[in-house]
Amino acid sequence: MENRNVEAGGRSSLYSRALRRFFRNRISLLGLAIVLILVFVAVFCPYLAPYNPKKQFWGDEWAKPSSKYLFGTDDLGRDVYSRVLWGARTSLMVGIFSVAIITVLGVFLGSIAGYFGGVVDQIIMRVTDIILTIPTLILLLLISSILRTRSLTIIMGVIGLLGWPAMARIVRSQYLSFKEQTFVEAAKTIGTSDMGIIFKHILPNALSPIIVVATLRIATAILTEASLSFLGFGDPTAITWGLMLHRGHLAVRSAPWVAIIPGLAIFITVIGLNLLGDALRDALDVRL
Amino acid sequence: MSEPLIEIRGLKTFFHTDDGTVRAVEDVDLILNKGEVLGLVGESGCGKSTLALSIMRLIQRPGEILEGEIVFQGKDLLKLSDGEMRLVRGGDISMIFQDPMSSLNPVYTIGDQLSEAVNTHQKDLKKDEIRETVFEMLDEVGIPDAELRFSDYPFQFSGGMRQRVMIAMALSCKPKLLIADEPTTSLDVTIQAQILDLMRSLMKTFDTSILLITHNLGVVAEIADKVAVMYAGKVVEYGDSVTIFKGHRHPYTKALMGSIPRIDVKQDKLEMIPGTVPSLTNPPPGCRFSPRCIYAIEDCSKIVPPLIEVEPGHQVWCIRVHELEDWGS
Repeated sequence: MENRNVEAGGRSSLYSRALRRFFRNRISLLGLAIVLILVFVAVFCPYLAPYNPKKQFWGDEWAKPSSKYLFGTDDLGRDVYSRVLWGARTSLMVGIFSVAIITVLGVFLGSIAGYFGGVVDQIIMRVTDIILTIPTLILLLLISSILRTRSLTIIMGVIGLLGWPAMARIVRSQYLSFKEQTFVEAAKTIGTSDMGIIFKHILPNALSPIIVVATLRIATAILTEASLSFLGFGDPTAITWGLMLHRGHLAVRSAPWVAIIPGLAIFITVIGLNLLGDALRDALDVRL
Repeated sequence: MSEPLIEIRGLKTFFHTDDGTVRAVEDVDLILNKGEVLGLVGESGCGKSTLALSIMRLIQRPGEILEGEIVFQGKDLLKLSDGEMRLVRGGDISMIFQDPMSSLNPVYTIGDQLSEAVNTHQKDLKKDEIRETVFEMLDEVGIPDAELRFSDYPFQFSGGMRQRVMIAMALSCKPKLLIADEPTTSLDVTIQAQILDLMRSLMKTFDTSILLITHNLGVVAEIADKVAVMYAGKVVEYGDSVTIFKGHRHPYTKALMGSIPRIDVKQDKLEMIPGTVPSLTNPPPGCRFSPRCIYAIEDCSKIVPPLIEVEPGHQVWCIRVHELEDWGS
């Protein structure tokens, strides 16, 4: 029994050790705090926002920040504070949905390529090479200018469909090394199927880099959508930080708050996600 | 007693590498009888593990089984579909490996992994029945406090304990054949003895036969009934354990036995076999041992030695075996 107590001290799985490393680091806590605030705002913005973000206060256009309008109003008299809060929801949605597509496609294709190798690997890897040559923003600009309707769904879909190769490559490299491990061979000798080995035995071992890449990719996706909206090719009906920046940038001398506030929101969010991603990478000891 | 469980005939497993074809296993014939332990010995790189993986049909590209039959319980394993073969793996034949430290998946508990092994081949078992089976297996392989250890992770086990877990996993479906690929090589000597004892006693409990692959002749002497000696991808001598140790006839076996340090004779220098193991990409013609063999004559490098049965159950692949009868042991 004493023996077991000794072990209880070392009874830390990979993830509890990673968690300890994570919380020792102040920077990672900052990243986590920013992301948690982002999530909180995105979820509760209807309750946090003082006004309807689409409501136009006629006569109050270009209002300076005051107790009535915390961050002022824009060219149509809409409350910038409320719009920034709602923008968090859009950004997070864009980040999560496009990264969901990236993760599902990347993990599936990467694991199959890495595990089976050969022709399958060659085909998948050449497709990733081709996709990596396509600049996401340019393609989105092209699609936006061709299509009549500019919707967030299409934007998220394109970011997702163009973003998976990086994930697939990381996952593939993990599978290349894990498939040589004895425990994989041992699993085969008890009659486990290939799919069982890919998803049940190797995937949990390859989870750390997937988490890190996904976190960093959320930031990239948010930034891509914001850039697109800033250039005026985003979804005009959505409340997004990029679009707010777009509307505010011409009046940046006379009414700087209209542009600066959403700009700061983008900046802080992307920094926060990158800090979190880097911290996770260090904590989980992933080499990318 | 001597009913064959598995019969390998004319097996050829080659690896097609960039540097040429590696003839890792060529024209191997081997019989393992029910209830026996067959020790497969030879130097590193002589094709022992390739032979084992061929039986499991786990040879991966660039490797390929080119020819031969592996008849197991009347069926040729090489003719089964992938699905049928998967049922054989872990069901009728299972395997344990040299390195118990990396044979278990680090992210699952011991209990989960054993449960999976049980569940793979007995799908009709209920959850608590599986748990019960796992406890029994852990108990059987001598892991105390099975209930407590069930939810431990592999890193909380020592090497010997992990090898016990691997044995439990391999035997969980009561296989007819257990292939043990250097099961004790990475364990220290006292643990080695325990694991060998365990394997021997479990053989009787589960009515399992064992193919034991090792380069440790001491281990073979301890546990094997029959011994096959491999050299450079071929079996050179096969027979009873006692015959191989006391009445071996092949020059390679003789050289191998001569290189065992002895406690009863004063030796200043260990005997060694001159030369090195030939490249399997370009093996010497004729008898593959001929370039290193002190008894080799011209014909040895021309004629591929056929099987010669020197006495019932004792096979030697050497063309000079009858002439060399008198070198005694």
